[in-house]
Formats: sequence, structure tokens, C-alpha cells
Amino acid sequence: MDETVKGVNQEVKEAADKLISNVNKVIVGKQETIELVLVALLAGGHVLIEDIPGIGKTMLARAVARSLGCSFKRIQSTPDLLPSDVTGIHYFNQKTSEFEFRPGPIMANIVLVDEINRATPRTQSCLLECMQEQQVTVDLETVALPRPFLIMATQNPVEMEGTFPLPEAQLDRFLLRINLGYPSEDEEGAILTRFQQDNPLDSLDSVIEAGQLLNLQKLCRMVYVEESVRNYAVAISRATRSHDDIKLGASPRASLGLHLASQALAAIRGRDYVLPDDIKYLAVPVMTHRLISRKEARLTGHSLDTIVSEIVSNVPVPVEEQTNINIKGVKNEKRLA
Amino acid sequence: MKSNWQKGVLYVAVIGIEGCWLYALMALLNNKVADGSLHVFGILLLYLISFGLNRMLLRLRWPAVCLRTISWLIWVAGLLLIVKIQLFGGLAWSDTTWLLAVPRAIADVIYTFKPELLILISTAAIWWLGRRLAYLKISFAALVSEFQLGLFIMVITFFIASQIEVELAHSIYLIVAFFFFSLLGVSVSHALEGTSWLSGLYQGHWSGLLLVSISLILIVGFIISLVVTPDFLQIILVALKWVWGLIMKVFAFFASLLPEPEPAEPPPPIPMPEAVPPEEFKPWTMPEFLRNGLRLGWSILMAGLFLFALWRLSSTIFGWLRRRLAGTGGADYEKLPGAFRADFLSFLKRLLHNLLGLRRLFRPKAADKPLLPEIASIRQIYRQFLHWAADAGFPRQLSQTPHEYLYELASLLPEAQEDLGMITQQYVRTRYSVWLPTEDELHQLKQSWYNVKRCPLGDRR
Repeated sequence: MDETVKGVNQEVKEAADKLISNVNKVIVGKQETIELVLVALLAGGHVLIEDIPGIGKTMLARAVARSLGCSFKRIQSTPDLLPSDVTGIHYFNQKTSEFEFRPGPIMANIVLVDEINRATPRTQSCLLECMQEQQVTVDLETVALPRPFLIMATQNPVEMEGTFPLPEAQLDRFLLRINLGYPSEDEEGAILTRFQQDNPLDSLDSVIEAGQLLNLQKLCRMVYVEESVRNYAVAISRATRSHDDIKLGASPRASLGLHLASQALAAIRGRDYVLPDDIKYLAVPVMTHRLISRKEARLTGHSLDTIVSEIVSNVPVPVEEQTNINIKGVKNEKRLA
Repeated sequence: MKSNWQKGVLYVAVIGIEGCWLYALMALLNNKVADGSLHVFGILLLYLISFGLNRMLLRLRWPAVCLRTISWLIWVAGLLLIVKIQLFGGLAWSDTTWLLAVPRAIADVIYTFKPELLILISTAAIWWLGRRLAYLKISFAALVSEFQLGLFIMVITFFIASQIEVELAHSIYLIVAFFFFSLLGVSVSHALEGTSWLSGLYQGHWSGLLLVSISLILIVGFIISLVVTPDFLQIILVALKWVWGLIMKVFAFFASLLPEPEPAEPPPPIPMPEAVPPEEFKPWTMPEFLRNGLRLGWSILMAGLFLFALWRLSSTIFGWLRRRLAGTGGADYEKLPGAFRADFLSFLKRLLHNLLGLRRLFRPKAADKPLLPEIASIRQIYRQFLHWAADAGFPRQLSQTPHEYLYELASLLPEAQEDLGMITQQYVRTRYSVWLPTEDELHQLKQSWYNVKRCPLGDRR
């Protein structure tokens, strides 16, 4: 194996541990959620954090952004937010008598789009190009976004009044959808203690720089994915397309996302190869927001999480087959008896 | 529903189900191959012996290979005993003719299918089934599969019997007994597990479920027997003939509208050259034994494909029924107009997909890549490990990853947790990575496998 690849597990794991412990200074518990955000970060994807108000969605996004030492901007979505408010505009400079480009808040490494479903579909659509191609086009001029570029969007799935549900094309561009959930009793107590004096977010230092993050992303891409494991990811993705309860199955972008996310997860956990366990673990956060279930399934209480879990529990994992192993081209059963 | 007698009922149910279809199949083969000279009950007794004996062997903490060898040696003894008693009853025990009867029957298989061969195959299958039952963890799903398999084999058996005009003895009793054992087993296992596709309003009330299921079957059977009488069938036949006649008349009418072709003049005869007498040609004829062998192989292949296709179809139908009956556990549900139609269409689509899927059997498989000996060693050990655990009654589920399987086994064998972890870890690294083990690591793995093999996993069932 390549020596560089061997070092992947250590370098990425150390950085991940540092970042997780730093975010934990603000966010109590939620190790798995922070790990998933890190997965998206290292896989070069975007995250949609979905939960009820007051759970800590925005706090998590801000804590991650602070820990990264990258440029950070926040967009508060409202129904009157315009695409130009996001991407930037050309304005006429009277001093120079020329039109100049004033970049919008999207021109940052980490962009927090708070309550994304409150923006109108027109404004939501202006994020499509940014998320997929990492560039914006304003008045026929295309401007590249800074690297690394990560959008962390939050939305409240309960409150529907005055909101515009995200279209499928938009949802498909998010690598992961994460639910935070309520903290446990002990965790809630710890939150009160921690925020008693002041907000720990104000004193949070960055632990990873932008250049280092780009390097870590490159290292994650070098994590080895065995052919059968890759086929396993594809099989899960394909199974969503033929499931009776699903109207719209996973796209090839979902398969690609699962592949990249599993590489990042393996690296975070200190491995230089992907396991089927990684694929299984990530199937729900990567797939569910991209699928549309049938109304019959919704009415019978089958959530997409349940359906994807059911699919995962039906797809065979690539483990040893019942045929003989081919040793140097010779099939031999008794070799090790 | 936690006492042992209910598990006993499950075993009785499985024995009953398998006994019924085995009897039907054996009776048919006995009629065809041995002219009814074999005593089927005597052969079926081997099934109970196999089950009991293998259950006893299971309690011994011996290696799986030893247990398997002993079990099959006993089968050989049983086979010879049945051949002696049933076919050579009049012969003295000292005469060795009966001992050589089976090898001779195997040698003559191309020319004739002797009763000795039937005994050989049937006892082997029966012994295997008994051994399988001894190791089987009976669950609701297993019972439904047993019922499905039994029903499938019985339908095929009775169909073939009717086609070749063989009358099977006690067929009515056999069917009644089969359904009785099936319903009993399904109901009891359902009540034991509490969650399954029959769950619903009666979830948790196994006796109620049993009564409802039996009543339902009896009522449906009664209604069918009332409606489908010979007179009714006669009426349907007459109606079909009338429709067919009508279609033929319509075709004849359309045909009469077409102008008849004028008779064409025959072409002048072509002068033929004088025929040269051909050289004596001796066509190659296939030897009789080769032809018989090919015929036998072809028949087995065709029958196998036919059975496989039927099995896939019945699996799909059962799966669909299972899904239709699931998910109404006490909950209110809204009527969905068009949902049944959509579901039924989806079912038909899947059925078609499964039929088309049979083509995969004929696709050439990609050649296995040769592995390095160290990697092959680890994978071979893991395979043996899987076999060992499966033999002990804890097979790996298809959707279980090696680590998930490890947690399951480690909870059963906490004393072997370290060795199990070692085996899994080494396997995972070689299987999903490009890692190469050292000599020491390979040695440690073999040692761990040796330690694990000695653990009594079978006792933890």
C-alpha cells in the first residue's frame, strides 16, 4: 500500500478528534451528529440540519464554523430575501464611473443558511449553482466561490406557515440531512451549567485552517474502497428505486455521495479502507432527504427513515461467499484444514 | 407461551409437515420405481431416528466434523439395514449380496433405476432433513417456509400422480394432516414471537389466532366444495366450447370473404442430371450408455429449472401476500382508492422481473481473481468460522456485516470475545483493505480459530 495512504488514518483522525472536542466545548453530547457534520465537511458536501426550534441547530453550525478558522457568513432566510442578496450585485461606483461587483454573503468558506425553507423558491434556486458547481453567475459574470466551500442549512420541519418546502433538486444537493433530537436529562443539565456565565461560543478558537482542511479532503479521497463495498453502496441506492413504498428513488448523485461520505467516515474513524458498516451507517442520513415516499406509505406511518433502514436490512452485505477461495488460481478447500 | 412444550409442538408441527410431503413423494416414487414393494413408513422412520440422534449428538461438545462424520456413518448403517430388510428379507445375514446391492445399483444407473437407488437417495435426503431439523432454530418465518415448500412439493406430486395415473393411498388424510400441522405450527410460532405478518387484531392471542385461521380455512373450503360441483364444471366446459365455436365461426366467415387463389400452372419439369450413386456413408452413432447418460442429465436439468422457476414464483406470491397482510396491528387505517390496484400491478411487475431474473443463471460468471496465499488463508478460516457458527444454529444473516455478526456471537460467547474479535478483525482487514498479514498474525489467527472451535456455541441456543 502507498505510504501516503497509510498515513491518512492518523492525520485525519487527529484533526477530527481535535475538531470534535472543540465543538464539544459548546455543544453538549451529540458526538454522532458532530461526526456527521465533519463527514460532510471532509467529503466536500453540504449539510441540512433539520429539527424543531431550540435544539441547537444554529449553534452547532456556528461552532463548527468557528472551529475551522475559515471565513464565515450567515444568511437569515426570509420571504423577502432576493437572489442578489445572496450572490451579490454589480453597483455603479460614481467615483470610478464603473460598475463594480459587490460580493454577497455566499462568498465565504462556511455559509450558514438559517431557516432555508423561509426563503422563496426563487432565492432557494440561486443556491443550486453555488452548491453543485461552487460558483455564482451574476449579470453574465461567473465568479468562483472560495475553497473549501460548505453550506450548512437549517430548517424547521414542524412549522409550515410562511415556508416554501425545498424542491427535490435542491435537497439532492445536500450530502447529508441530520436530525439533532432532544438532549438527555444529564445533557440538558450540563447545557444550563455551561451557559450560566457566558456563551462558550464567544471564546471558541479555531483548530483547523482552510488550507489544512483542503489537504484533509484530498487525503479522504485516497481512502481505499474495495470493489464489492462500492457495489454494496450502489445496490442500496438501486434498491430504493424499485421499492414499493418509494415514488422517487435515489439519484446517482446519492450513490456518489454515499461513496464519498463513507470514505470520509472511514478516515475520521482512523481507517484507510471503507467497511460495509460505514455504508450502512450513512445510508439513512445520505439517502432519506433525496427520496419521496408514496402516499400509501406515509398514511400507514412508514417514514423514509424506516423504509431506508428496511432496504439496508435486506441488501446482502459482501462477506465471504460459500464457494472455494481461489489461491493463486487453484481452488483448494483443504489447504488450511 | 414460554414453556418447553410449545417448542415441542413446533417440532411436532415441522415433523408433521415434512412427514406428509415426504410420504406423498415417497409413495409416488415407490409406485413408479419399485411397483409399491417398499414399505414407506419403514423408510420414514429414519427421519425420526435422524432427528433424535442428531439432537443427542448436539449435546456432545465434540468438533462439528466429528459429529457430522458420526451422523453420516449411522446413516450408512441405517441404509444397509433398510436395504436388507425391505429388499433382501429372505436372504441370510451371512450372504453378502445385500451389502453389494447399492454399489451395483449405482453402477447400473445408466441402464435402469433400481429400488436400491431409490432407498439410497431417499434415505440420504430424509437423514439430511432430520439432521437439519435437529439444528434448526424454529421461528415463524421458518414455519411459513416449511409450509410453502411442503405445499409446493405436494401440489407437484399430486399433479404428476394424476398425469401418470398413479393412485396415491390416503391422499385425503395426508392433505388434511398437512394443513393441520401447518396451521398448528404457524399459529403457535406466531404466538411465541408476537410479531409477524399475521399480527393484527389477534396479536398475542395465539389460541384465538389458531381458531380463526382454522375456521377461515374450513369456511373457504366448505364454500368452494359447495360451489364447485361436477355439474358446475360441466356448465363452464359447455360455455367454453360454445365461445370457442363462436370464435371459429367468425374466423371462417372472414376467411370466406377472401378470394380463393387461382390454380397456378405447374412449371415445366427441370431436366435432372443422372444420379451418381453416393459412396457408402456410415453415420456416427452415439453409444447407448452415453445417450442414456445425456438423457438423464438433460431430464435432471429441465426438472431442476422447472422446479426452480415454480419456487421463485411461489416465493413472490407468498411475499406479496405476507406484505398485504402486514401492518394493520390494531391501528385505524384509511381506505385508499386505487391502492390495491397499484399494489397488485406492482406485484405483477415484480413477478415478471423475477421471471426475467432467471436469465441470470445462464450468464457467464467472471473468473475469480487469484488471491495471495496469506489472504486466502484468512478468508478460508473465516469461511470455516461461518460454517461452524451456522452448524451451531447461529448463521449469519445476509444483511449482517462481520462486525454486527461479531457482536451477536460475542454476546453468546463472552469468554471467546477476544478470539472472535481477532478473527473478525483480521478478516475485515484482508477482505476490505489491501493489507497483508505477517506470519505472526496468521499464527495468532489460527490459534484464535482453534480456541473458538472448542467453544460450545450449540449449547447457547
